[in-house]
Amino acid sequence: MSQTKLWWYLHVPQLLLDEQLSLQSKAQQQQPQVLCTSDGQHRRQVVQANRAAVAGGVRLGMAEVTASTLLPDLQQRDYNEARETQVLRRLAQWLHQDIAQIALYPPQGLLLAVHDLQRMYGGYAGVQRQLQRRLRGISVQYVVAAGYSPLVARILAQSGKNVLSTEKAALQQALGQVPITQSLLPPHQQQQLQDVGIEQLGPLLALPVAELGARFGRSMLSYMAQLKGELLPPQQWYRPPLRFRERLDLLTEVASWQQLLFPLRRLLQQLEAFLQVRQLSVTELALIAHHRDKRQTFVRVAFALPLWRQRDMLQLVQLQLERQQLKTPALELSLRAEDFSAREAQHGSWLPAQQDAHAQRNEQRQLQALVGKLQARLGEQAVQQAQLAQDWRPERAQYWQASAVDEQPTATGANLPRPLWLLPEAEPINVSDWQLQWGPERLQSGWWDGQSMVRDYFIALDRWQRQGWIYRACVNEQSASNEQWYLHGWYS
Amino acid sequence: MAGTVNRSVSWRPSALNCVTNYSFLYGAAHPHEYIERAVQLDYRAIAITDECSVAGVVRAFVAMKAVTADLTLLIGSFFVVPEVGTLIVLARNRRGYGQLCRLISLGRSRCAKGSYQVCIDDFLQGLDDCLLLWRPQEKRFSEQVTRLRQAFPERLWLAYARHYHANDRIEVRTYQHYQRISQLPVVAVDEVLYPQAERQKLHDVMTAIRHRQTITEVKAQLRPNAEHYLRSAAQLQRCYPSQWLHAADGIVAQCDFKLSELSYEYPAELVPEGLSATEHLRQLAYAGAKQRFPEGLRSDVQAKLEKELSLIAELKYEYFFLTIHDIVQFAQQCGILYQGRGSAANSVVCYCLQITAVNPDQIDVLFERFISKERDEPPDIDVDFEHQRREEVIQYIYKKYGRDRAALAATVIRYRLRSAFRDVGKALGFNEQELGHYLRQIDRRDQDTPWHAQLALLQKGLPETERGRWLLQLTEELRGFPRHLSQHVGGFVIAAGPLADLVPIEHASMADRTVIQWDKDDLETLKLIKVDVLALGMLSALRRMLQLVAEHYQRPLDLATIPTEDPKVYQMLQRADSVGVFQIESRAQMNMLPRLRPATFYDLVVQIAIVRPGPIQGDMVHPYLRRRAGEEAVTYPSEEVRQVTERTLGVPIFQEQVIKLAMVAAGFSGGEADQLRRAMANWRSTGELQQFEQRLIAGMQERGYRLDFAQRIYQQICGFGEYGFPESHSASFANLAYASAWFKYHYPAAFYCGLLNSLPMGFYSADQLIQDARRHDIAILPVDIQTSAWQHQLVPMQNGMALRLGLCLVRGLVEKQVQVLLAQRPANGFASLSALRQAGASPALLQRLAAADALKKITGHRYQSQWQTLAEQAEQLPLFATVENSIATTPQASITLAPPSEVKDLAADYRVLGASIRRHPLALLREKKLLRGVRTAAELVSCRHQQIVQVAGLVTCRQRPGTAGGVTFITLEDETGMVNVVVWQATARAQRQEYLTAKLLKVVGTVEIHGEVIHVIAGRLEDGAPLLAQLEMEGKRSRDFH
Repeated sequence: MSQTKLWWYLHVPQLLLDEQLSLQSKAQQQQPQVLCTSDGQHRRQVVQANRAAVAGGVRLGMAEVTASTLLPDLQQRDYNEARETQVLRRLAQWLHQDIAQIALYPPQGLLLAVHDLQRMYGGYAGVQRQLQRRLRGISVQYVVAAGYSPLVARILAQSGKNVLSTEKAALQQALGQVPITQSLLPPHQQQQLQDVGIEQLGPLLALPVAELGARFGRSMLSYMAQLKGELLPPQQWYRPPLRFRERLDLLTEVASWQQLLFPLRRLLQQLEAFLQVRQLSVTELALIAHHRDKRQTFVRVAFALPLWRQRDMLQLVQLQLERQQLKTPALELSLRAEDFSAREAQHGSWLPAQQDAHAQRNEQRQLQALVGKLQARLGEQAVQQAQLAQDWRPERAQYWQASAVDEQPTATGANLPRPLWLLPEAEPINVSDWQLQWGPERLQSGWWDGQSMVRDYFIALDRWQRQGWIYRACVNEQSASNEQWYLHGWYS
Repeated sequence: MAGTVNRSVSWRPSALNCVTNYSFLYGAAHPHEYIERAVQLDYRAIAITDECSVAGVVRAFVAMKAVTADLTLLIGSFFVVPEVGTLIVLARNRRGYGQLCRLISLGRSRCAKGSYQVCIDDFLQGLDDCLLLWRPQEKRFSEQVTRLRQAFPERLWLAYARHYHANDRIEVRTYQHYQRISQLPVVAVDEVLYPQAERQKLHDVMTAIRHRQTITEVKAQLRPNAEHYLRSAAQLQRCYPSQWLHAADGIVAQCDFKLSELSYEYPAELVPEGLSATEHLRQLAYAGAKQRFPEGLRSDVQAKLEKELSLIAELKYEYFFLTIHDIVQFAQQCGILYQGRGSAANSVVCYCLQITAVNPDQIDVLFERFISKERDEPPDIDVDFEHQRREEVIQYIYKKYGRDRAALAATVIRYRLRSAFRDVGKALGFNEQELGHYLRQIDRRDQDTPWHAQLALLQKGLPETERGRWLLQLTEELRGFPRHLSQHVGGFVIAAGPLADLVPIEHASMADRTVIQWDKDDLETLKLIKVDVLALGMLSALRRMLQLVAEHYQRPLDLATIPTEDPKVYQMLQRADSVGVFQIESRAQMNMLPRLRPATFYDLVVQIAIVRPGPIQGDMVHPYLRRRAGEEAVTYPSEEVRQVTERTLGVPIFQEQVIKLAMVAAGFSGGEADQLRRAMANWRSTGELQQFEQRLIAGMQERGYRLDFAQRIYQQICGFGEYGFPESHSASFANLAYASAWFKYHYPAAFYCGLLNSLPMGFYSADQLIQDARRHDIAILPVDIQTSAWQHQLVPMQNGMALRLGLCLVRGLVEKQVQVLLAQRPANGFASLSALRQAGASPALLQRLAAADALKKITGHRYQSQWQTLAEQAEQLPLFATVENSIATTPQASITLAPPSEVKDLAADYRVLGASIRRHPLALLREKKLLRGVRTAAELVSCRHQQIVQVAGLVTCRQRPGTAGGVTFITLEDETGMVNVVVWQATARAQRQEYLTAKLLKVVGTVEIHGEVIHVIAGRLEDGAPLLAQLEMEGKRSRDFH
């Protein structure tokens, strides 16, 4: 037995796609799908592909155009490194239950310090079993390799070599066969090495270090030292976050809260894992549905008691969501929680927990919390706020919206002579009762969303000399005299 | 709200501020739409006023030609002046128009392409023949009004517009107030942005596009209603006080300017004192004739010359010919090859002035094609120059005439389907991927189904949504709208005086280039002359060939003295041995060569013109070939048709023949024929051609021609629309094709050397040319720092000339640095790497040279060279000094590396040089016995027709021509030549992957042999990647080192 200290490296080559697949039905998973990035300007290329896509001839690095010509029904989405890094962070959090020292190599790798775990799990084999058990729970493709330095483990894993040997010689042999293109050296140095006929790490290791240093500089000396296990740079170990923020891509538009319960269950499961590690509980959650164009929908869910189990949380959330309606389909769903309490200290409170927080922000937060709770109890529509928006159509320029204490948008009609009091619904009037003062202001807009209108607005006085805003709906000018007139608002 | 016209109203309105789509992404109307609508509404006048531009006025002027009603077109422009408001300037007369152009040029000259900047001071002087309509911007009104009124006494109005907005009430009071304090007249001037209210939607979308946002994001920028259309008299009378409306009449009455008044004065300095332009041109022509016809002028040629000269004099085109003569003289003096083409090749005068090179003896010259009295439009003379030296000619023009007198014509870049679809789609909130996905569903070659019908069929959901329907409709409306002005490839306008009096000049995106605001069609409409200074790569190559032959074979030649009608040259072409030969080197041309078997110059003229969409779509190719082969009798449906088509055996091939046929066989008048020709030129963007179909077919049938003949003629016309080829044009090209073929046959080394030094150009890459040279037994010597120059060179060897590749082939080298190095090269080469370093070679340069295997003679094979040059980098590495100290020996060649395998060398050659003179990869595969049973390209000749064979090669070309109905042509290259593979659509679909992605392809198929044309019809395709991988493995085994 070698006493060499070992690192393991977990490489997850299509983490983001795996994550998305895990949210799909079996049938959906069989559809060919890929993630693409654009390099520079125009050429989009495939970076992750599922099994069905690969079976159809799609290869990584292939131009997106070629891929979709090969498979006309290929689903393709944008690769997003930030999103993948987030998933990686979650993976780290998941594994953190067993492994204390994990270093993040975003977006697709985790370095695991396993040396000290041998005692707890009964040797490397035990660690391996525990790791496999954890990973079995989530369907993610991975490669794990061991190394006598972090770099060696990383190179082996990233080049797809599943070697978990404890023998240095075996690892060295595997390392020797890794092509230079997988060496993690900068691309120009890879090219320079290939230009002198060095195609694999074996021959590189055989060259005198001084000769290499003379040609490639310091960084190469440091690289070679790491490759030989002579240099072990310090790692930045992962620390679990103290707030919980997770976001799920729903892949299709989901129209109701009911349908969101399935993905929500997953998010709550993650929350439970998060809470479990820290022995914490939570009294308030924020659910956010993200839409295509509209502003996101917030739902705050407060619990009377601190909770941490998924099934408890789910039950209560479900109860509260039954009252809610999702106004527009959602594309993504987030779950946030930040006010945690230790499990022992459990005292329920009706008002927001942190009484002594910064006074300034507190007022706003209290208001938000109050609004949120009112909405949770009474339904979202019961609490509304007046809004101005950029639209020529009066109904849309000035409207009531479910409250969100938020920034004020600038509006089209800010300094137009508009009545202060706009009727929720225009009332038909007899125009002969009115005396026209000024007009028309012709509004013809909104063709793009199927709510177009053509109206001539006038300012007019009624029999009691009240100033009102009236309009006639026009089809065309000639027929205007037969049109119905409406009262839409009052100036006084 | 289509207003019905109430004829009883005697007052006729005028629109003084119409904005067209030449105010890019602002006005939502083609200029002609305003004219047409104004006629319907019985307008008195229409003023086209784009933003700091007159780019759209010529189109409006053209539309006016068809107007019989009493409508006046005013020319003007509007300017947004910060802190002043909007100023609309109208030209009162020709002088005022010039002033307006200068103002626009001034505003444009201050900014980069596409924008402008003006201030109130620009309007205070030099606009005394312009009228000014002002939409003031509150605040400093009283101060500004004093200044403007002084500059525009009695010529200044306040322009009030009412579009039923909320602030109308405030506005009207403001204008009344202004009027009271300034005593200026108020005139009602609508801001017209589109002809009819329905266009509001397009205008909204264009606003979104301009702001690069979606329509829901720019709602604040949209107009609140659709009132910016041309309103009827009744509508206007309801909207404005009558006094304000009638004020427009006084404005219109003051304006009297038509674009037809613009006349062009040629630069006068070209004629020596004491001579008239006519006399000077005559002298030059006869002097030239002496050179061109040393044996004396034949009487019929002289008669033609005289006829041309008198016609030129009558139409006053002398200066135009003298201008071009002057430019080509300059090129001659500098040794820059050039050749006139286009219809100018029909002129004996052009031949005598050495502008063109087509001997009138060789083709039937049709001078009427070039200039005709009845057509009354300026002649079109395009001159091609060597592409690498055209800039010298352009600089000469700028120097000689000055930048204020010479500028490039504009090219109007218009919305096409894809760009319109994307921009409209983004404005409606679709994302890029969705749009890309939809666009991919459209087969633009499918001419039977319009694009939106195709989409509706394949994407059923799309037209079912509101957004989808708008996308389809508005894309169609936006198509053809101008998007911006770009510069014409080489059309110069040169004037006697400042050009800015004639048309505004603005910056082009290229530094130091200026463009006018009109494009070539506008110039043609106004009968202004442009000189096309174009670039042609083959001329560069030919000049090099001429020089090489003079230098290395002591045979001084020029284009005119190359021996003509050499049967050996034609025999070579009949074998389709035409790689690198101008115009007839494409795959389609190569297929045609053995069938058409050109044997004379005129055959070449036909050959060049026949492989074009026109004759192919008109189904004229096969009849011509059959008649030429004697398989079909040459007959003519009538005597008239015989006269037009006798040269081409009764089958119309050239564009002018088809037009002539429209006249003699369908009864088109000269004017109609001319409209037809113009429609052909731009039918892709406007679809104008359809209107002629009925007329043509009916006309021909009335005169007793068969329906199918008439339909084929129409199809041919449509094909010409894509790329028309007149006979004279083809003849000019045939000249160059023959010249290059002559070199290929007689001096192949010089031919390839000239071509390679003129790249990039033409159809083939350096590698393909080099492979072809090797197949013609030219010895090729590798790139070598000890012997190569920057360019490729000829070097005498025992058995003829060899071609030494130049360092220009090495990717990433900078010519200047290499030249410095070469200037210091000792006679017997550099002694060592350090000698190279001392001569100034940077480590990076050395590495490129090593990678190109150009240091072989100094440092040995590629790997070793690179290893050593890497060490040269050492001193440049920061922080390395300390490490170096710790090393006992200096790192110099202490390690010996094994040489690369042949495959590795080959791959490196392609990576660094893009070409290789080592053995072909297919030869290597064959040697390794990896291609059992696979025939070479050369062996196919001895196969039976319909025999099943296997072939393999590198894919050099995949083509799916629009004329070939779903067939793809793949060209495979092996060590013996090219194999032409035909893949039917079904095969391609079944084996998509191989078909689309393979770099090395193995094909099992049937040989088709027709005469000397050999094809392999693909049955099964096989990706050769595994073979290459195997080759790599072989390479690896031989290369391991310890």
